[in-house]
Amino acid sequence: MAKLQRGESECELEKGVRVSVEMSDSSEDEGPEEVAFEESRSAALKSEEEKLQAAKREKELLKEKRRKRQQFFQEQKKKRLLSDTLLEEFDTVPQKQKKLSDDRDEEKDNKQQKLTKSKKKKASRSLQGNCSVMRLKDESADSSMQQSAMDFIQARLYGSGTLRTTNAELLSLEKKRGVKKGAAVQFVNKKWGAEQKAKAEKSNKRFIHRQKLVTT
Amino acid sequence: MGEFKVHRVRFFDYMPSAIRALAFQPQREKIAVARTSGSVEIFNCADRFFQEKIIPGREQAATEALAWVGDRLFSAGLNGVISEYDLENQKVKYTIDAFGGPIWTIASNQQGTHLAVGCEDGTVKLFEVCEGKIQFEKNLAKQKGRILSLSWHPSGSRIVAGMMDMIRVFNTETGQSVHRLLVERGIGASRSVECVVWGVVYLSDGTIISGDSSGKVKIWDDLTGTLIKSHQVTKWDVLALSVSQDETSVVAGTSEGTVVQFQFLSVVLGQEDKEWVQTRIFKNHTHDVRTVLELGTAVVSGGMDTQFVVRPLLDKIEERGPECVLRKIQFPHRSLVSCAKKAGLLLFQYPGHLELWRLGESDGHGASGSVLPVKRKPEKLLHLKIKGEEHICCSAVSPCGEWIAYSTVASFRLYRLHCDNNNVSITKVSKLPKVLSSANQICFSSDSSKLFAASTCSSVHVVSLSQTVHKFVCTLKPKSGSVQAVHLLAASEDGKWLASANSDREVQIYNLTKMKLHSTVPVYNSGVTAMAIHPTTNNLFMVHADQQVFEYSIEEKKYTDWSRQVQRNGLHYLWLARDTPVTNVTFNPKNPTHIILHDAYMFCIIDQTLPLPDSSSQFYNQLTLRSLPEKDRTKHSHAFKMCKTFKELMFVELMEDQSLVAVERPLVEIAAQLPAPVRQKKFAT
Repeated sequence: MAKLQRGESECELEKGVRVSVEMSDSSEDEGPEEVAFEESRSAALKSEEEKLQAAKREKELLKEKRRKRQQFFQEQKKKRLLSDTLLEEFDTVPQKQKKLSDDRDEEKDNKQQKLTKSKKKKASRSLQGNCSVMRLKDESADSSMQQSAMDFIQARLYGSGTLRTTNAELLSLEKKRGVKKGAAVQFVNKKWGAEQKAKAEKSNKRFIHRQKLVTT
Repeated sequence: MGEFKVHRVRFFDYMPSAIRALAFQPQREKIAVARTSGSVEIFNCADRFFQEKIIPGREQAATEALAWVGDRLFSAGLNGVISEYDLENQKVKYTIDAFGGPIWTIASNQQGTHLAVGCEDGTVKLFEVCEGKIQFEKNLAKQKGRILSLSWHPSGSRIVAGMMDMIRVFNTETGQSVHRLLVERGIGASRSVECVVWGVVYLSDGTIISGDSSGKVKIWDDLTGTLIKSHQVTKWDVLALSVSQDETSVVAGTSEGTVVQFQFLSVVLGQEDKEWVQTRIFKNHTHDVRTVLELGTAVVSGGMDTQFVVRPLLDKIEERGPECVLRKIQFPHRSLVSCAKKAGLLLFQYPGHLELWRLGESDGHGASGSVLPVKRKPEKLLHLKIKGEEHICCSAVSPCGEWIAYSTVASFRLYRLHCDNNNVSITKVSKLPKVLSSANQICFSSDSSKLFAASTCSSVHVVSLSQTVHKFVCTLKPKSGSVQAVHLLAASEDGKWLASANSDREVQIYNLTKMKLHSTVPVYNSGVTAMAIHPTTNNLFMVHADQQVFEYSIEEKKYTDWSRQVQRNGLHYLWLARDTPVTNVTFNPKNPTHIILHDAYMFCIIDQTLPLPDSSSQFYNQLTLRSLPEKDRTKHSHAFKMCKTFKELMFVELMEDQSLVAVERPLVEIAAQLPAPVRQKKFAT
């Protein structure tokens, strides 16, 4: 970061110099001003020196920053080192836990089975009946994933654009085309097509009603 | 042949669930079938596709795929876990979370060392198959989009995965994707919808065959990663693919309900160059075919219409035999109905609940074949919903109608029913012996004083029932040390004997007074589909999956003379050719020589006094007999009296009052409840 910033500042400096040169060029239109070679040379050298010095300054600033940071880190470390004994205590506890979980992943050796068994027993002691503990969050996530997978299948097989018909229609078609001809299924089986029948009756009623309206 | 008052029962709303996956085990010739309810069934191809085992499902299982590794069966489902089944005890052995979201597919390699699962999150996960467990090994390079189908190269070094809009080939060693094959979308409106690769097959010569939602079966070359040929099979989806073991034939199941066969043939006669050519189309389903299997000699398919269809390929079968008939298995080969003979009650077993019905009554008398007026309508007494997610695996009602027992994989429940006039109440029996944790089959003794529950390792627990105390009596065990589960139990009328049949085809007979093994029936090489002990003679009558009948005298420990005569004479070829197994045997106490059997399409009375039919005689002869004069009838009649008045039979039983109960389940009513089929334009409709 620091380097980049430095680079930018250098560019700006250079631009400034150029602009001043141009300005002097524009003023030359009226007539050349006499500038001695020595003078111009010294001016150029000066500007060079200034540049170098600026760079040096920035470098030093950066160094100091780094030094300060280093110091800060060291102090931090010292602070940590102070609580070494405490830290060790902390360290030992999580390590044990890790071991347990690792073993569980690595599958059941006899020892681990015993361990888990004892755990179960503990759980059953504290919980009434044969209960087990699990995270609700996991279950809901799993079931929502399963649901979305099922929805995917449903959408692919029965969603829009899949050109599906109904079972009643299929069976009726078989009756129509088969060797044994018969009426459509919804007429044969009274349980079926109840919706359509209700609809038909409704529209029938409406029709009659309308007819009456027309006659009166 | 005797007249019966028949209760024609049509209120059992049995609804099978759709078949989602099939897997074939070539060494044992067994097919595992996964249904959408989560149940898994094992069919034995060598034994006339007898349904040997049923592993009950559970809610939210959503099994999507099955895979055999040797004798071990694995399944994976949308709940994101891989399960291994304990086929002996017919339950799930263990489950492992794959941690990749819902699993769409599972595939095992031919070496039997690894399982690959395809997950919703786009990973293919490899699991190592170890002794008694499976262990996660690695993920292959993760992809965008779900993995819907997988197939191993026979060498096991590569695996092909069907995804959305593309197929990827992975190197299983490095886990990197080797090829990406883009699958084009359908034309027209479906152009905006992603193309789903529902099935892929990897052949040993490096050919990849894919079936996708644009209705195409595509053949690819894995060396160059290019499309060789594309066959438009249907306007809808190609949902499943399967290849025969010799890799000369591939079948594809479609949404239309068709199964399309492709064969590897030389197009020009006499030339070596071979090509995949579409050859035959089988249409045995009305609804989507979700899964197919090419067995070499037959094509097995299943789908949304819940039927398990075996279509033989007659060009591959040399001999005429039981394997060259088309089989459609609609009903389970196991009774879901139990009956309280004395009380006139029927217990119907659904996956998640039990229903108890009281049969109707009629006092009318009518001519044969007429419908009697119903005095009292059948009524539903009880709707017993089970707790928990597990489905019921067996249930029974005691002959007196006082006890109801059911078992799931996890629990066993016994209920006591109080029935006074119109009040029905039920109490759960709380203090059951601890051995009754779960049962594979339940049976009550005829006086309802004992309960028999089949348990692990072919053992049977005996529990004595009384008003107050329920005591565990003992456990009956076979001497053979078989580990298979018992699927049939039969108790004798006098309470002395108990017979049990297990999936090892062993039939054990126990003496219930001494509480020990009495004898073992010689093992026959076909599974027992139904058996019962005769109430007066105490003969055990058994029917096997290959339609053979045996009668075994328990007291004399040998086959009866009639049974020997049947074996010597041979059964009629039309009887042997029946394609559904007999699922129940019952006797007529008024007429001890009569045995009543039924399968899905008929019930039949065997009269042991009459001569057996020989191959030249007419087998279905009732109509002819009726037209003959009285004295000629005896000359032409034979032992088998078939009745086909009732179709789609689930259960037939003779009640105490000599009335016959026939539980029918018309297939049309099942069809009415199925999901929507595709709309096909038929000419002139």
